[in-house]
Amino acid sequence: MFMKSKKLLTIKILIIFIFISFNLKSIAMASTFYEEQTINITKNLRCLICQGQTIHESNSDFAESMKKYIKGELENGKTDEEIFSSLVEKYGQWIVYDPGISRNTLLLWALPLLLFLIGGAIIGKRILKKI
Amino acid sequence: MIISQLGYYSLIFGLLTSIFIFFNSSIQLKKNNLVISNKTFGLIGFQFLFVFISFISLIYSFIISDFSNETVYNNSHTTKPLFYKITGTWGNHEGSLLLWLLVLTGVLLGFIFKSSNEPKNYRLLTTLFQQIIVIGFFIFVLKTSNPFNGIFPVQTEGLGLNPILQDPALGIHPPILYLGYVGTSIIFSAALASMISNYVNKSWAKNIKFWILFSWIFLTGGILLGSIWAYYELGWGGFWFWDPVENVSLMPWLSLTALLHCILTLEKRELFKKWTIVLCIITFALSMVGTFLVRSGILNSVHTFANDPSRGIYILTFLLVLVLLSFAIFIIYENKNFTQKSEIFTLSKETAVLINNWFILYFLSVVLIGTIYPIFLDVILDEQISVGPPFYNKLILPFLIPFVLFMSIGPSMKWIKTNFKIGVKSFLVIVFTLILSFITVYYIGEKNMFVLLLFVGFFYLLFKSLEQFREKTKNYAQIFSHTGFSLLLISILLNSFSSKEIVKNIQVGESFTLKNEKIIFKKIAVEKEKNYESIIGFFEVLDEKNKIINLQPEIRIYNEPETATSEASIKTTLFKDRFITINIIKDQNFFNVRYQHKPFMIWIWISTLIIMLGGMFAIFRKNKEVNI
Repeated sequence: MFMKSKKLLTIKILIIFIFISFNLKSIAMASTFYEEQTINITKNLRCLICQGQTIHESNSDFAESMKKYIKGELENGKTDEEIFSSLVEKYGQWIVYDPGISRNTLLLWALPLLLFLIGGAIIGKRILKKI
Repeated sequence: MIISQLGYYSLIFGLLTSIFIFFNSSIQLKKNNLVISNKTFGLIGFQFLFVFISFISLIYSFIISDFSNETVYNNSHTTKPLFYKITGTWGNHEGSLLLWLLVLTGVLLGFIFKSSNEPKNYRLLTTLFQQIIVIGFFIFVLKTSNPFNGIFPVQTEGLGLNPILQDPALGIHPPILYLGYVGTSIIFSAALASMISNYVNKSWAKNIKFWILFSWIFLTGGILLGSIWAYYELGWGGFWFWDPVENVSLMPWLSLTALLHCILTLEKRELFKKWTIVLCIITFALSMVGTFLVRSGILNSVHTFANDPSRGIYILTFLLVLVLLSFAIFIIYENKNFTQKSEIFTLSKETAVLINNWFILYFLSVVLIGTIYPIFLDVILDEQISVGPPFYNKLILPFLIPFVLFMSIGPSMKWIKTNFKIGVKSFLVIVFTLILSFITVYYIGEKNMFVLLLFVGFFYLLFKSLEQFREKTKNYAQIFSHTGFSLLLISILLNSFSSKEIVKNIQVGESFTLKNEKIIFKKIAVEKEKNYESIIGFFEVLDEKNKIINLQPEIRIYNEPETATSEASIKTTLFKDRFITINIIKDQNFFNVRYQHKPFMIWIWISTLIIMLGGMFAIFRKNKEVNI
């Protein structure tokens, strides 16, 4: 009886221990995950007080506080899109390096592709006419 | 004081000489002489000499720290080392425009020397058009950006040069870049001249090819120096940011590269005449657009020395005049030059060159639109957007794959018509490429199919270029530049996918790890130099074999103007760079340490040098008849 309970206790402790260590590991993993995610996000954000630097690259006070803020938001369960859109709302489209497709940027994306097609048509006509 | 006066009057004399050359060559055009009078050569020589004297005067004023000169006062300081006093000459708006003028007049002198066997009218007309540009810039310098303005009362000390410009690579970056950038002016003038004198043919192509290669090599070198500087000076290990000021140097480079391939076709086959002329005009127009964007202060960067709208308006107006002028000449002389029609077969080198131009011009349009679209949006709708790396990656990367595939097979095409045979060897190259790409992608741990495709394309280009070494008639120019280009793409890709970094806030004595390496913060020391104080961090890196690598990043606090810069410490090996920077955290004993592994970094520089080497081969083989 006594032996049995001792065994049980050991198993219990073991289970608790495994559970804790597993949890610790997942906490550790989660924290590096948030760090990496923060880097991915801040690489696409302009440091507003610097000259042509991303928030990730910059060490300015603004950039440092933004890094903390974004990591905090990620830990609160916000998604990348939510973070980006809240920042755009606050600071304007200027802060995001990816212009995205919107009414204002449609031509930005379409013009080069259009020129590529026109160029292709001209060259195609010139080459294929002769066959 | 007197030296500044000398420089100023030398500029005035230069302008007068230009006007004189302009009328002198117009008069000679109407005469029926077969040769150009010696007076013209003398005048062109004197024009260069006047600008040269003026340039030397400015350098001298910088060396002796003559603070009665406004440019020197604004950009120099007595405690600066001699080298940076000299490079400070072109590290500002006024001085850099004087350098513009020097190159403008210099390339004309070079052109006149190198074209003694060319038709008289072609040479005279080139001189004439170059003078239009030269006069435009003389007036610009004298009116809006005189480097010899005096200030009163005379100051005893100057304001100093921006510390991040005090760097050896950046010291020589402007002259090298300008030789390429402004060198394109002579291509523009010669193109217009060749149209009017009905000389758009093989001989013209041979003549102007030198200047295209000249500009291309120097522009490549200038961009390389700028990238190397950005890599170690800006402190976070990147070398290209798709920043507008970088883009404006890339645009003429792209159009020169397209032009280079066209001029070779014109030389061999008398094809694409119209298009070649258009490219000549576009190339110089892009140089002017770049100058406008950088000098007008529209862009915010280290290159923007002062915001003065009158300068921007002048360059923009001048650019419009030049474009309209070339457009008019093109329309008027179009039919005279371009009547001949030749056939192009689908499978031929001509087609390969057309496809090359198609893609390069597409890349050019991406960069151009990405650079100027935000400006227009800001002006018209008052909305600010940022166009950064994601935009360029999305629009350029997918197109790179077909581009490099065409680039791989293009050189093995024959002129006029090619009969393709697919042998066992070409099959083996493909198999080998696929295997190597799989191994590489596996090694860097990337699961993206698209990355695999990029590697396949780039490796295929590398092997196909190297294969050319086995051909009987070797074209070293093409082999080297294409091999260099493929190596460049591979190293950039490897670099961007397997860079590792860690950022830590630590105190002296603490350590951290990255992969299998341990980085120990040993101690900190303060040293005093002539023009800055530096805080040096001593770091030891224990690599996987327990070998010690010492790194000493610095924080420099420059005295004039008072600025702190972070100097990276880099240990380069063939396979990776170890890169470390430190920054002070306010009111704390901690330092912000950024440690990075940058794989294959040195290969990015080496491959660019190989590309330039290819260009040099093309210059020196000019007398031999080789297939391109």
